[in-house]
Amino acid sequence: MATIQSNQAPTAGALELTPELARKRRSQGRIILDRFLRNRVAVGGLVVLLLMVLAAIFAPFISHYDPDQYNIALQTAPPSAAHILGNDDLGRDELTRLLYGARTSLTIGITSMLVMVAIGVLVGAVAGFYGGWIDNLLMRITDGFLAVPFLIWLFTVAGIFSNGSVKDIVIIIAVFSWPITARIVRGEFLGLKEREFLLAARTLGASDARLMFWHILPNAIGPITVVATLGVGQNIIAESILSFFGFGLQKPTSSWGTMLNDSQAYITSAPILVWAPGIAILITVLCFNLIGDGMRDALDPYMTER
Amino acid sequence: MRRYVIRRLIQAVAMLFVMSIVFFLLIHAIPGGPDRVLFNPKLPPSVRIQLRIQYGLDQPLYIQYWNWISHVLQGNFGDSFVDHQPVMSDIGARAPATIELFVVGLLFALVVAILLGVFSAVRQYSLTDYVVTVLTYFGIAMPVFFFGLVLQEIFAVQLGWFPDLGRASVDQTGFTALEVFEDYALHLVLPVFMFSLLFIAGWSRYLRSSMLDVVKQDYIRTARAKGLSSRIVFFRHALRNALIPLVTQVAIDFGGIAAGAVITETIFAWPGMGQLFLSSLTNRDYPVILAMLTFITASVIIANLIADVLYGVIDPRIRFS
Repeated sequence: MATIQSNQAPTAGALELTPELARKRRSQGRIILDRFLRNRVAVGGLVVLLLMVLAAIFAPFISHYDPDQYNIALQTAPPSAAHILGNDDLGRDELTRLLYGARTSLTIGITSMLVMVAIGVLVGAVAGFYGGWIDNLLMRITDGFLAVPFLIWLFTVAGIFSNGSVKDIVIIIAVFSWPITARIVRGEFLGLKEREFLLAARTLGASDARLMFWHILPNAIGPITVVATLGVGQNIIAESILSFFGFGLQKPTSSWGTMLNDSQAYITSAPILVWAPGIAILITVLCFNLIGDGMRDALDPYMTER
Repeated sequence: MRRYVIRRLIQAVAMLFVMSIVFFLLIHAIPGGPDRVLFNPKLPPSVRIQLRIQYGLDQPLYIQYWNWISHVLQGNFGDSFVDHQPVMSDIGARAPATIELFVVGLLFALVVAILLGVFSAVRQYSLTDYVVTVLTYFGIAMPVFFFGLVLQEIFAVQLGWFPDLGRASVDQTGFTALEVFEDYALHLVLPVFMFSLLFIAGWSRYLRSSMLDVVKQDYIRTARAKGLSSRIVFFRHALRNALIPLVTQVAIDFGGIAAGAVITETIFAWPGMGQLFLSSLTNRDYPVILAMLTFITASVIIANLIADVLYGVIDPRIRFS
């Protein structure tokens, strides 16, 4: 072999290939991570998002004001050195409220996404794995959920059943957002369940639950991560819409959505009270969407490395 | 083809029937039931019982459902608990405003999205493409109600270019026909912008990628080789095929469009059905809530049905089985 190789003059193609081959072998996960990290826009979104999460967690260290401290003298005061974003209609420090509001908005966005993914994965996995009448029944139920627009469900159910607590809003958003996840997971399961590795595992006596969640699910983790990431942004917007129109969180709990509801009357006299929470929502959702899209590209096996 | 359409129609009707039961049960699962909202709590028990009988609320649920659905099938959704008018006349009075917003907004969104999508695909990786891409990312992440508030504040309150609320001026006396038209048109501008933002952003991205798929194909190269100008190749040859997947996407988004109309109408005090829906929820006006839910669901189901059939009509490669 060695002689044959040495007899051949190196071609242009072989020269180009050499650094590729010489590169250290990487695991599949490593390749995806590298591809994601090379996407500067997505990494930018991730960095900004991490900063916002840290700011929300360490809110008391960033601002020494109490988010609920009224101050009649400072009602709708414009931004000043002491209050960088001014004060709201009750004289509370706007920046502080924005930081504490981030806690509520992010918590609702992330927890409702987790519940959404849990329901969606369970329904999609069972439907795709068992097929037949179980699949048919579950998919017709999914169709029923999708026959009414997401926001119309939220308005209706939050409007007549919710007491405005964080828990209620999380449950309501999760209960009506899972169908898309379920469809995606079902599609993945349908494709994967006929593969040989599954037959092998089954032959070894693995239970259905083990086959579904130990053998198939890890192979479907890519699309699930993408839909989960995009879901957080979508759910944050959903919460803000509910709260803005008075169907969401009730006082004293406040999120960016309730801040917009409180401040809309002051849009002319104190515009920053509307702009601040609005832009906070915009940037947060934008970050989640950029990360989600970055992950989709990184996970796409047809994307060539550049 | 005909058999496919008939089968889909039957499925659609069945789905709507099941959903009507779901909605009915949902409304009746409200703590305290309808009579708690309907009747003044100070009424003596004897009168309450009489009223319950009068409204049929003493009957078992399935009888109540039967009474409701049999009237609905005759086009009668009952009377509103709030203004005591027939629900259908309340909805009918508001339908024109919603249809106006819907049709103009949808057309505007489609035209702008197609133009943006084609231009950013034709000049892939150009400055135009990057600007459009950045704008669409912001458009998709934008909380629509916030966008509406900002539009209203800047262009109506601060600059005074457009009216801030409503569908037309309250007092149109002395207006010529042209001025009446202008009045309606000016009121429409900001709501249409707000309504269409999300869909312009989403659809232009979608069309851009489907255009990029299409222009790689051989028949486009043939058209170019014939010496046709780029404009004709893109707008006549490529766009036609690139639009096919957009039809499905518009149908999928139909529910979102309906929800967008509800939000837009509320921000701009647009006297349409969306506003009626939100106020019926606040007032717990059951007959109106039920009617609006049924109506919205029916339109979503019909939109999807039309899109599926249309898909086969415009793409001869699709065979119905």
